[in-house]
Amino acid sequence: MEEYHRHCDEVGFSVDEVHNIVKECVDGVLGGEDYNHNKINQWTASIVEQSLTHLVKLGKAYKYIVTCAVVQRSAYGFHTASSCFWDTTSDGTCTVRWENRTMNCIVNVFAVAIVL
Amino acid sequence: MEKRGRGGRVTPSQTPQQTPATPRRDRRASMFEKEAFAQILRERLRESIHDVQYVEPPFDDSIADIGKEWKSALAKLKFANSYRMQPLRKFQANSVESKVQQILKECLKDVKYDDKVFSHLSLELADRILLVVKEFGFHRYKFIVKVLFIQKTGQAINVASRWIWDVAWDSWVAVKHETESFVALALVFALYCE
Repeated sequence: MEEYHRHCDEVGFSVDEVHNIVKECVDGVLGGEDYNHNKINQWTASIVEQSLTHLVKLGKAYKYIVTCAVVQRSAYGFHTASSCFWDTTSDGTCTVRWENRTMNCIVNVFAVAIVL
Repeated sequence: MEKRGRGGRVTPSQTPQQTPATPRRDRRASMFEKEAFAQILRERLRESIHDVQYVEPPFDDSIADIGKEWKSALAKLKFANSYRMQPLRKFQANSVESKVQQILKECLKDVKYDDKVFSHLSLELADRILLVVKEFGFHRYKFIVKVLFIQKTGQAINVASRWIWDVAWDSWVAVKHETESFVALALVFALYCE
């Protein structure tokens, strides 16, 4: 019987790397743009897909969920809360809030470890 | 070569101060390009700001270390193989959806949008939904619940999610509850922990 030696989750979930990745993706897609109703679907989809591909390239044994909400900037109220049931030693989350003159963007990344 | 260029560009109308400037600019083209790039980037992002908020899994470094020690100790312990390839009961999205819809309706029946109330309410609702989902009894599942409240003031909002997980056992539920003054959106993600 072969024994599979699992190298431990490389210092768990590293928030810094993840927030850099996400910030770059958002900057790249929304940087310098104004709110445009026709393109908004395309933008949210590309932010999320790009973040996900970059996260996967980190090469860690994690399942990822990336959520992105883009709102037109005006006088409005917005609340968001999340509650998670997981292994706190290996799983983690990161939220990046980005804004410019015409829109607000909130990206949430949840990473859940795969126990091999 | 440069001297010839300088000589060539001297026109009688131009002042002598201008002529050395233009060939000098040409010589330093590469550095200028770098500056131009940085400047363009700064210009584009001038009106944007970003902010990061996150919750780290452990609040304190010492707790993290304890967890990791325990985990590595666990790796050395050999557990008997359970030979379980799949969850006992697969996550049923429709029953969870109807239950969450019911909870949202109950909690938000006659509530008007209010800043302070809603910041507590969103956390409370997220915890409540988590408890209910746990009560369903899907074993070895990890859950993530996300609750969003958006005030209706005529602006547009777009919410997108993508994931990487095991398509066979992992699933998600989205429930929307709309009233006159606000919209509530609840997302529940269920991930099987092998």
